[in-house]
Amino acid sequence: MSKKELKKYFEILEISPDSTILEIRNAYNRLKKLYSTDSVVISPIADEFSKKDRKEILEQVEEAFKKLMESLKGRHSSSPSPTGDFASDYDPTAEKTEEESYSGSVLKQIREKMGIQLFEVSLDTKIRMELLERIEDEKFDSLPQEVYLKGHLTNYASYLLLKPDKVTQDYIARYRAWKEGEKEKR
Amino acid sequence: MYSIKNIKLQCWGRLTHEPNLLYCLEEHTDSFHKVDKLKEIKEGNIWAIGGGKGGTGKTFLTSSIGIFLAKAGKRVVLIDVDIGGANLHSFLGINRPKKSLTNFFEMGIPLSRLAVKTGVDNMSLITGDVHSLASDSIKFTQKLKLFRHIMKLNKQYVIIDLGGGSHNNTIDTFLMADKRIAVLEPEIIAIENMYHFVKNALFRKIRMALRTYGFKEIVEHMWEQREKHNIKSLKELIESLKESFSYLGDILDKELSDFKVYLVLNKIRSSQDILIGSSMKSIFMKYLGINAQFAGYIEYDDAVWRSIRERRPLMLNYSLSRVAKEIGVFTENLLYEREMKISRS
Repeated sequence: MSKKELKKYFEILEISPDSTILEIRNAYNRLKKLYSTDSVVISPIADEFSKKDRKEILEQVEEAFKKLMESLKGRHSSSPSPTGDFASDYDPTAEKTEEESYSGSVLKQIREKMGIQLFEVSLDTKIRMELLERIEDEKFDSLPQEVYLKGHLTNYASYLLLKPDKVTQDYIARYRAWKEGEKEKR
Repeated sequence: MYSIKNIKLQCWGRLTHEPNLLYCLEEHTDSFHKVDKLKEIKEGNIWAIGGGKGGTGKTFLTSSIGIFLAKAGKRVVLIDVDIGGANLHSFLGINRPKKSLTNFFEMGIPLSRLAVKTGVDNMSLITGDVHSLASDSIKFTQKLKLFRHIMKLNKQYVIIDLGGGSHNNTIDTFLMADKRIAVLEPEIIAIENMYHFVKNALFRKIRMALRTYGFKEIVEHMWEQREKHNIKSLKELIESLKESFSYLGDILDKELSDFKVYLVLNKIRSSQDILIGSSMKSIFMKYLGINAQFAGYIEYDDAVWRSIRERRPLMLNYSLSRVAKEIGVFTENLLYEREMKISRS
């Protein structure tokens, strides 16, 4: 895809070319919702801004999103092929209660519900993919030291729009419990 | 004054008293940044505040932005051109000035001599007149003369309160300004009036531009014959103008890209309301092809109403309120032509 085309797609989604994947996804979801529903901002101009116009815009938005995702995936060839639909209106803050504890598998669940691939997280957060996998699978013996782990968790949690403090606290507690268990075994 | 060395020295000096280096550095880099930026802003200091519907808070915004800028050390002149409904002085808690724009129109007294003190340092006020001046009676040449004199008020920030409606005088003043600010509430009537107002302004700007290039008849003829050409909207008019007269394409594209509007949402009651700002930005681009920037919002607060009733400006009396902070945020966004940052978390 040429640079010019890419620029056009970013313009359709009304975001800057250095946007992260999450920003692309958010822009796509926002525009899709805006132009497919009769909201207070659309109805005053409904007579001039016809359903046909809006359908065209929706098609453009759809195409732009698809093409941008494809181009980003091409850059990361080792990634698994996309599964399911791109669009997910899943809002993690709405479903998650404060009581639940954030384990690796919970983080994985949330990520999958948002329809985000691991390589996308890796691209945006600059955390290595293997490390993200190990965090999600709770392979505690191959995780970095606690201080570094905390940093990664904060980074990952804010990417998933979760509260970084809570996630880090929960996860580190599990990590420490495992460490204690290991000590006792010895 | 704000050299890097100076800042370092100041920070070092304070380090011995205050261990909080980070705070000190932040504070200074911030002001360093501001001073640096302000040098760049030589022009672009005439701001017009409109938006179509009455009661959305245009006058409140004018007074608050003015006070914020004045408190930041800038010289500010407020002009109330809401002729027939001038009440900006009440928002500042002062009595109606005896001198008004009538003196400018009828006796040719210069604007600088019409400005009265507002009780806020660095800020003065020029008011319209309720009694003796009907806005229809202002002639085109008088209007141009006023604009010329407003532009001569240099080295100052001129904040113009336009009043409601989409009268030609209002729209011309809006177009004359360097920064066009439209205020709206998150409700359907204000949104509808805002579209109408912006569309009128854009149509007038395009007509004026084509007139200077000598194509005045084309656009008027096209608009009169709009049913024959099957033109329903301004966007379709622009498109068919481009199709029929290819040489107009560049002019029209330039007019559209030059036309920039800043949106301010007033009286929001939920975080959901904030999204209206970014939605309208998108619609302005996709529906009219113009660039709108969502500068910020003010949440609904009884303190606003209370301060107006007490005739004591909110920015002075409730300067620590959330509303005052929000006003500060979008005024800075306007100053540096930034967009509102919307965080989802």
